[in-house]
Amino acid sequence: MSVSNLLENWSKFRHTHPVDDKGHEDWEAYPSDIKWAMAIDLDACTGCNACSVACYAENNLAVVGKEKYAHGQEMHWMRIERYWGEENGEFHAEQGAQFLPMMCQQCEAAPCETVCPVGATNHTEDGLNSQIYNRCIGSRYCEANCPYKVRYFNWYNYPEQEGAWPSPMEQQLNPDLTVRTKGVMEKCTFCKQRTYVARNNARNEGREVADGEVQTACQQACPTGAISFGNLHDPASKVAKQWAQQGVDINKDKQDKDKEREKIEHQDKEPEKALRGYRILEELRPYPSVMYLERVRDESAV
Amino acid sequence: MNENDFDRRDFLKVLGAGGTAVALSGCGYTSIEDGKETVTSYVTLPSYVIPGISNYFNSTCAQCEAGCNTMVRVREGRALKAEGNANSPINRGKMCGLGQAGVQAHYNPDRVQTPLLKGGKAISWGDALKEIEGRLSGVKGDEIAFVTGTTSGHAQALLGSYMEAVGSKNHFSYEAISPAVVRAANKKAYGVAMPRYRIDKAKVVVSFGADFLGAWVSPVYFSQQYAQFRKGNRPEGRGVLVQVEPKMTLTGANADRWLGIRPGTEGILALGLINALGSAGVKVPADISAAAKDYTPERVGTDTGVPFDQINKLAALLKERTPSLALAGTAAEGYAHGSQNALAIAMLNHVLGNVGKTVEAAAAVPFPQLAPVVGNRASLTALNDGLAANKYKVVFSYGTNPVYSAPAAMKFKDNFGKAGFRVAFAQYLDETALAADLVLPLDSAMEDWATMVPEYMAAPEGGYAEGYAQVSFRQPVMNRLYPDTRSIGDILLALLKQRKPEAYKGFDDFYAYLRGNVLEKKVAFGGSAKDDNDEFWNDVVGKGIVALKGVPGRLSPKPSVSGLALPAPATPDSAYPLRLIPAVSASMRDGRNANEPWLQESPDPLTTIVWDSWVEIHPKTAAKLDIVEGDIVEVASRSGSIKAQAYLFPGIHPDAVSVPVGYGHEAMGRYAKGVGANVFSMLDPVFDKETGELALNETAVKISKTGERVIIVKEEGPVGGSQAGRPRIAVKVPAGKVDLTKEV
Amino acid sequence: MTKDIREDIAWAQINQDVLKSLENPRKLYWVILFGALLVFSVGIGCEIYQYINGMGVSNKNNSHVWGLYIATFIFWIGMSHSGTLLSAILHLMHADWRKPIYRFAEAMTTFSLMTAGLFVAVHLGRVWQIYYALPYPSERWVWPNFQSPLLWDAMAIFTYLSSSVIFLYIGSIPDFAIARDNIHPGWRKKLYSILALGWEGTDRQWRNFRITYMTVACFLIPLAVSVHSIVASDFAMSQQPGWHVTSFPPYFVAGALYSGCAAIITLFIILRYVFKFEEYMTLPILKKTVRLTFAIAMVWTYLNCIEFASVWYSHDQVAKDVLIQKATGPYAPFWWAMIFCGSVVPFVMMFKRFQTNIPVMFAVSLLLNLGMWLERWMIVAPTFSHGYYPWTWDHDQWPSLIQWGIVFGSFGWFTLLFMVFCKIVPSVSMYEVKEMVYHRSQATKKKQLGIEGAH
Repeated sequence: MSVSNLLENWSKFRHTHPVDDKGHEDWEAYPSDIKWAMAIDLDACTGCNACSVACYAENNLAVVGKEKYAHGQEMHWMRIERYWGEENGEFHAEQGAQFLPMMCQQCEAAPCETVCPVGATNHTEDGLNSQIYNRCIGSRYCEANCPYKVRYFNWYNYPEQEGAWPSPMEQQLNPDLTVRTKGVMEKCTFCKQRTYVARNNARNEGREVADGEVQTACQQACPTGAISFGNLHDPASKVAKQWAQQGVDINKDKQDKDKEREKIEHQDKEPEKALRGYRILEELRPYPSVMYLERVRDESAV
Repeated sequence: MNENDFDRRDFLKVLGAGGTAVALSGCGYTSIEDGKETVTSYVTLPSYVIPGISNYFNSTCAQCEAGCNTMVRVREGRALKAEGNANSPINRGKMCGLGQAGVQAHYNPDRVQTPLLKGGKAISWGDALKEIEGRLSGVKGDEIAFVTGTTSGHAQALLGSYMEAVGSKNHFSYEAISPAVVRAANKKAYGVAMPRYRIDKAKVVVSFGADFLGAWVSPVYFSQQYAQFRKGNRPEGRGVLVQVEPKMTLTGANADRWLGIRPGTEGILALGLINALGSAGVKVPADISAAAKDYTPERVGTDTGVPFDQINKLAALLKERTPSLALAGTAAEGYAHGSQNALAIAMLNHVLGNVGKTVEAAAAVPFPQLAPVVGNRASLTALNDGLAANKYKVVFSYGTNPVYSAPAAMKFKDNFGKAGFRVAFAQYLDETALAADLVLPLDSAMEDWATMVPEYMAAPEGGYAEGYAQVSFRQPVMNRLYPDTRSIGDILLALLKQRKPEAYKGFDDFYAYLRGNVLEKKVAFGGSAKDDNDEFWNDVVGKGIVALKGVPGRLSPKPSVSGLALPAPATPDSAYPLRLIPAVSASMRDGRNANEPWLQESPDPLTTIVWDSWVEIHPKTAAKLDIVEGDIVEVASRSGSIKAQAYLFPGIHPDAVSVPVGYGHEAMGRYAKGVGANVFSMLDPVFDKETGELALNETAVKISKTGERVIIVKEEGPVGGSQAGRPRIAVKVPAGKVDLTKEV
Repeated sequence: MTKDIREDIAWAQINQDVLKSLENPRKLYWVILFGALLVFSVGIGCEIYQYINGMGVSNKNNSHVWGLYIATFIFWIGMSHSGTLLSAILHLMHADWRKPIYRFAEAMTTFSLMTAGLFVAVHLGRVWQIYYALPYPSERWVWPNFQSPLLWDAMAIFTYLSSSVIFLYIGSIPDFAIARDNIHPGWRKKLYSILALGWEGTDRQWRNFRITYMTVACFLIPLAVSVHSIVASDFAMSQQPGWHVTSFPPYFVAGALYSGCAAIITLFIILRYVFKFEEYMTLPILKKTVRLTFAIAMVWTYLNCIEFASVWYSHDQVAKDVLIQKATGPYAPFWWAMIFCGSVVPFVMMFKRFQTNIPVMFAVSLLLNLGMWLERWMIVAPTFSHGYYPWTWDHDQWPSLIQWGIVFGSFGWFTLLFMVFCKIVPSVSMYEVKEMVYHRSQATKKKQLGIEGAH
């Protein structure tokens, strides 16, 4: 270990702009032909919470109880937000509510990654924003800098001191991932334990991961199939097709279709029928990996 | 798994027992030889078990009556997670949150572990069964009553046999929340109680309080249909959903138009629509037309509070886009005139020509003894009356919790006490189990064998026309957590053996009974007589679903409109000016799953409140009463009162308040007990005139502040459902401005 | 108007007066010391509780991931700037009025850095893994993340702390020698013999001393500026509304100097009273310090306005919302209190009659410090309560008693260190006061000679 070693090492883990980052040749095991991404159709989402509960079941999320929930210390990696139509500061229910499932957006240029003092959160070669629990020292800078506030801190020692899994509930815990202790940050991983099984299987069989071979827990549960998940680098995958069809490019901080539309609106012309794909807070340039499809409401019919 | 005469259950037993053996080796086992037969190593596992790799076993969800087919992930003998069975026509690989929480029902720390006498004294199964037999001696058959939830499958068959053996005909199938009134109206209107709705084929769905995405009948199935319905590239085009209900449900929240109708006037609106359709030139059968003729849009507008131009617009939409579908749900049926409401709504389907297109007759299973005995609320009244008249000396309770969910005005708890001997088959010490003299611990749905026939018979793609019916199989996916729990089938079999030892002596346990029974009817269960028994059985259990050629139902061509007369909207009661709407949420339902912490912690989709009850009040009503969010208010009816936090909610009619059911348990377990208030307790005993069902929405209440105020524990932040002017968070676009046709 | 330092004061008198403060503590000293110990133990107790149960007991949550710990951390870092300002910057500028007071100001620097360092630890969810933040050679090739401002922060603070300890120590060597030579035999004499490093006051020693001292002073000045600029980077380098402001580094440095000067005034008054240093800590010195503080207050106010203006003209609605939220939301009382204490109260210092009025200045300096502490809190908290994502806004969060207890305890810790320091290191620099007296008497003599010569 020397300073030169440090410098060499350094150049390895930040070498290109994050969105161009195709991984490093050192990752022989997983040459980066995978970029996990998601598309969530808000028109199909009914806000039923199935995804959220599935996430609790899959990812060993602690139930914190009323008191801690009241303090805002809940641990739901996937939360369902409910919005109302708003007019003059009053909520209107005539067109129903709007639901938005929100979890880690697995940004390509993630604001959380650069600020972690110990590098506990960083980018994986398959395009995820990973959290290394045993490296985390709990400075919470990542959550402070997350525009979506989708990181959840272990404010307490849930497994041992808080009794979040009274016996025999601990038997339900998913052995494919850990139970986090106090003082570490955690967040949605796009069900990494599942993607890695799929990748290992594919590698053992000498093939690529097929589209649909791996589902995230939320996607698998979603009763309306609002969530699709897959490899954005695979043009045949449903996710890649959806992104392409909706004109959303992961490497842009402003989509061409939006620029086009603004131009047309500027000329006071009626724009054509739009596409629904968008990314939340895209303008902050985190390059999120989750595309949402706008909710459609037929207001003229009734 | 047969090459190795060591089946999975044995393996699981071995794993469990092996663990126990290790634990006990210090205190009892004197040599390795003693425990030899219960100890195994990982070297001699069945071929399908690889340590570290999960196995998936198909089974059936028991969390609600929809009966979704599951695929449970099991690793090293532990059930970890329930996924949907992709081959299931019901849930097609999907699972709702309630279903996901099934593993918490299994691993719940508050389960009953041994047979208990009143007061909590543990006894052995032998003693418990002897006790029952002793208590039954000298009791006449009609002095024995059974109160259950919805039952079906082989357990229901055994229950039927046992009741026959003891000579009782008193089976009360009670569900606090069930579409019982709608069933009766459907029977009248369509000729079938539970038709198959084709939301996926409808261009417009007008749902009168049917929360088909949340808690109504078979929500996961309907959600899949809904996803189809919303697809812009569907041949029928993107569907339009109009929800008519006084309190917004999850389905209402997803509607294109939510009409917050005056409580109880759903039928009036339906007839108004029929009238408007008639005026617009739609052919309306004479008898229906006669029933609807007085309901002009103006009058209907005044009665329902729905603007009359909206009624015309809706009628025009329904006329233009066919087929459509009108659904009558929980909100529409909960009145003294609930049957009329439901019938009027069903007539709308007739007028629009939907019957046969989006309303289909489902097939029934060809074995009537396995068919579901569906629960309703009228049976509770019958049971209660019988108990009050001291008619029943022995009462068995299974799968339902009437002491909790019966309105206090019925005095059910007291009447239940009048029965000489009460037996509860229970997984938790819930209110009914606590009131029982003997509690028999049940297996969880991860531990028992069962078959289930869903009341709502879904069908796979392409299978709609063929009279598809199915029997779902539940298999134990892991060894019992507690050695002294039994499945309901095992208990009933043991009881039957006391009565008819000869007839049932061939069956060691329920598993043997079930297997024998299915193999006996191998051909009827879709096999051929040549099939090897073991192979056939493994195939059936492995799939978890047996698709059968069902007995096709038949829609009646001529609906009966007799008795269709709607009362004028109720005039508000000056002492109790507001209408209480008990809300049924997708996760809490009737409260039987309240002790599963994921459900308590999962925010209510509409209010985002967790771990408590609340009172939904329209902001205008709240302003009038000077109530702000978090005020603890007393909601009082003539029959009782509860206290809960007020939540200002735009999705409710200003004349109504809503409180969710399922909270306020006095027992059951650590997660349910004392959380919120039990709104069942304060319901007025008003019944539907035709069916005798308890009318859930007929309670008039008044609201007063207690002076206490709390900060509501909820998911939403200080700006509530506002996006605070941020342009692109949850975006909504008008259908006309978006191109859906090329979507993937 | 009271007198400045007497020119005719004998050197022996200076030694005697200052060394007296090292011996025989008065009862008041013990009262303060035990008071500080008590306050510190409260903090320690709270920290132990938090350590055992987790950070949740501080009542922070997923929106408010940082709270008073970070605010107080910045406060203490800011406090540390006073010493460097007085001893290094003013040293280079040959402002001799600083001489009687720079020693304790330097001590303040060191101790407030030590206090600030504690907050880094207190704030971590897993303080037992704090060494992960250090770039120690690891066989796993695991390094801290050099992109993180928090890491720069840790390094800047560590560098600044070690440099200021060295500076404080070097500057004290001649005084340790005086103490060694003049103090009664006993453990103290032994201690000072060691600390004085064999100082004999030879020309060569003095020459080396001057060069070293000057070098370290030069080295320290950029460090002082950088350490707070880096603390500012923790915020400015993030993407959050209300933080992502380019003027943050100078704003933080100005705020730091401001709070440091205010703290000097406070401690000046306390030391003057407790150790009866009226002869040395004279009112003209106070007056100069007050004037300096006033100037810095105006710079701070200006930078504050710059921050508001740049937010206002940025067309960044989110950042504007945060600013509006500060002025009108749940934090409004604190925010306006900060404006009052930071920008209005200092105008008292404009008036000559208050500049040397000890009770008034004591009150003012405390208010200024309160204002500066509030400023830090108002930087940290409102952004969390009202950030980019409205769903996660949290306007109700209030620090728990545990959090307040630890903040409270830090003042005890600081006072404790300071009180111990006062009994070990001469809190007035004897040799520099002697120099000052000498130079002044020379100047007076010259003046007199000149005047006489003119006749």
